[in-house]
Amino acid sequence: MSVPLLVVEDLEVRHGAVTAVHDLSLEVDRGEIVGLIGPNGAGKSSTLHAIMGAVRASAGDVRVRGESVVGKRPEAVARKGVALVPEGRRIFADLTVDENLKLGLAGRRTRDGSDDDLARVYDLFPAVEESLRRKAGTLSGGQQQQLAIARALVADPEVLLLDEPSLGLAPRMVDVVFETLAAIRDRGLAVLLVEQRAQRTVALADRSHVLANGQQRLTLGPESAGDTAALVSAYMA
Amino acid sequence: MRRLDASLQLLAPLALVALASLVGTLVSTSTETYVINALVNVAIVVALYVFIGNSGVVSFGHISFVAVGAWAAGVLSMPVQEKPAIMPHLFGLLGDHTIGNVWSLALAAAVGAAYALVVGLPLMRLSGLAAGIATFGVLEITHNVLRYWERIGPGLNTFSAVPETTGLREAALGAGLAVVVAFAYRRLRFGRLLSATREDSAAARAVGVSVYRQRLVAFVLSGAIAGFAGGLLVHMLPVNTESVYLDLTFITLAMLVIGGATSLWGAVVGALAVSGVDSFLAEAENGIHLFGRSVDLPAGTRIVVVGALMALVLILRPTGLTGGREFSVRLARPRRLLTKFAR
Amino acid sequence: MTVALLNIDWQTLADATGLGGIYALMAVGIGLVFGVLRLVNFAYGQLIMAGAYALAFASERGWPVSIGIVLCFAVVLTLSLLMDRLVFRPLRGQTPAVMLVTTFAVAFLLQSIALLWFGPLGKIASSLATLNQPVTISGVDIRKIAIVATAVAAFCLLVLVLLLERTRVGLHMRAAAMDFSTAELLGVRAGRVISAAVLVSGVLAAIVAVMLTVQNPLVTPDFALRDTILVLAGVVLGGMNRLVSATLGGFAIGFASGLLGGALPTNQSQYLPSFLFAAVILVLLVRPGGLFTREGHQAVERV
Repeated sequence: MSVPLLVVEDLEVRHGAVTAVHDLSLEVDRGEIVGLIGPNGAGKSSTLHAIMGAVRASAGDVRVRGESVVGKRPEAVARKGVALVPEGRRIFADLTVDENLKLGLAGRRTRDGSDDDLARVYDLFPAVEESLRRKAGTLSGGQQQQLAIARALVADPEVLLLDEPSLGLAPRMVDVVFETLAAIRDRGLAVLLVEQRAQRTVALADRSHVLANGQQRLTLGPESAGDTAALVSAYMA
Repeated sequence: MRRLDASLQLLAPLALVALASLVGTLVSTSTETYVINALVNVAIVVALYVFIGNSGVVSFGHISFVAVGAWAAGVLSMPVQEKPAIMPHLFGLLGDHTIGNVWSLALAAAVGAAYALVVGLPLMRLSGLAAGIATFGVLEITHNVLRYWERIGPGLNTFSAVPETTGLREAALGAGLAVVVAFAYRRLRFGRLLSATREDSAAARAVGVSVYRQRLVAFVLSGAIAGFAGGLLVHMLPVNTESVYLDLTFITLAMLVIGGATSLWGAVVGALAVSGVDSFLAEAENGIHLFGRSVDLPAGTRIVVVGALMALVLILRPTGLTGGREFSVRLARPRRLLTKFAR
Repeated sequence: MTVALLNIDWQTLADATGLGGIYALMAVGIGLVFGVLRLVNFAYGQLIMAGAYALAFASERGWPVSIGIVLCFAVVLTLSLLMDRLVFRPLRGQTPAVMLVTTFAVAFLLQSIALLWFGPLGKIASSLATLNQPVTISGVDIRKIAIVATAVAAFCLLVLVLLLERTRVGLHMRAAAMDFSTAELLGVRAGRVISAAVLVSGVLAAIVAVMLTVQNPLVTPDFALRDTILVLAGVVLGGMNRLVSATLGGFAIGFASGLLGGALPTNQSQYLPSFLFAAVILVLLVRPGGLFTREGHQAVERV
């Protein structure tokens, strides 16, 4: 058995005196979606930021393809094949859609194949391809979310991290996002999905970890998607 | 224990001032000048501390208050018959009267405070970069106006015939007074309210502290102290627009930073330490004997050394020599006084 | 104060445009570094001073102009990189207050080092003095430097626009100026972007040094100090947060300064600095984003 693409081991993240995450362990392999759900302030975002190197992990390890990336700067982690779709999308409103995508290319390991990857991204997101010349700030919320995911994908990552992609989106757009994630999984990426929409995430993901107060409480499989009682008790634990 | 703590916070800086004065009595007359200068610097740096240290806002303009204080005290304490020599265009009111030297110091403080009020009313809304640039503008405007408005002062000329009454005793008393006032401000509600805004302005506002008003209070008070120091200055050496401009701004800021911007102890330590180093280097520039060897530094070395020290402190230890803490006999206080001036 | 009748002739207009161009380049130099580092480099003028001293050094030894210019660039770029390593990088993440005071200290430090090293009397950089000669165009005398400065400034600005809009580095710089942390997350190399900004800023400083020495061949430790302060005022007035508005602000101040300097009689222009800085303060209070920006682009904090 080969090593999973992304391994998080006993992760601990501190913000000053507050411990946001402790003793978190999870794995994501290629062709998998792993969900990370839980109430507000549970530490889900902190986990993603720690993996990406935007915050320092105070203890524990994060390994990509077996290689530890703890302590590396985000730009270096990106070059190891990890891409983050940040919370709130964080696209560059004053740049055009095309320029936003080109920025995503910065995370690539090699320039070769960027045209192919751009083409594949256009396939996935025709709306993005149509609005290349527009300023990204003029797009709708749903389109911006697509752009944010597209931007992460053009970096040709092996691991994709998403921080609450369905936040603030209309239900129809949420469907689109979740369908896209399934398509991305089919392409063989390892996807770690942080979400507030517990039920949909549990249904989509191969497994979902429930995080509360910085600690992992429970792991649920898709079969538990309809089991609200289990979810509620996990949240409240 | 708290009473002792509080008293120490006042006594320690005062003791340092007294010590410096004592040194002044023991040395030669020429060296005494350096000590007097150092004590006046203490007053200026304490004024800087009252505002910058407590609010966390950088002001490049405080020497303006020193300048107007010097102008007020200088113009009005010159003997009437001497005035037309260097100030032929003076307003009648200013030209026809002379006041006593002590009164001139009080006037200097009042003028400093008034000017600070006028400047502070609009400016206290600003923070960070905007405040820095705006106060720099105030410095420039003051320099410009004092230089060319010959109806209120000597303009391009240097003050002369101002009674040189700032001797060792006056400078020591002046520095001591500044320390006491700064200490009192801290002990009263005002000072603590303001440093609360420095630590966490959102929280402070949430409990009803008006950042604007607290800053204005500190600004005006520091204007008064700075003006007072300007009065001391003009009675000590010939002042002109250049001696209360960029160089003095730089060196007094250096003193505050090197000593530790957020404490009174830091202000006094910084002022005396840097003045000491500066004086020593000034002597070395004139040629001295050190450990049996003759040292003759080229002119201008002292400001390079002070500048380098200031830059080093800011880059390596922004909290200054004292760490921004007040003098204390306790070890390792758990309370962290300093978060907003340096991270 | 009586309103003076402005006496503007073509010479003055050309000079003003030239000065505006030079100030615009300085504004870009300051604005680029501010954009990526959020740091106002008060010591920018000292970079120009160092370049001017290099030119004077070459000029005094009778070296050819081209060698002098090369030396100027070498000195300015080295100093820029040193400033970046020793001052800017350690300061990242500090409060604006500390950054402000530190660059102020560095500016003073460099100036006093120059004073110590070269003395107060100054050195002459006269190699390009021929540019100060007038050329006659359709009956009007215009100093060559005015034309050269305008042309060089226009050319540099054009190159800069191309750099920022068409190249990868330029895109990364713009993104870093808009949202540094997100840019980093995407894989933009922070170190390279900062170095690029510092380098371009240095190149501009060197160019400015060359052009300023034409009309002011006497190089003293406070060379370009006045200009830097004016440009800073112009950048704040124009709008610090966007490069376009900052550049416009710089140009405007340079142009106005050149116009008034040539047109107003001396006794009217004494209080000019006061009016200028009063305007700066007013803008900071009322429209902190700057005069040339849309409302909502604010870099400066308010209580």
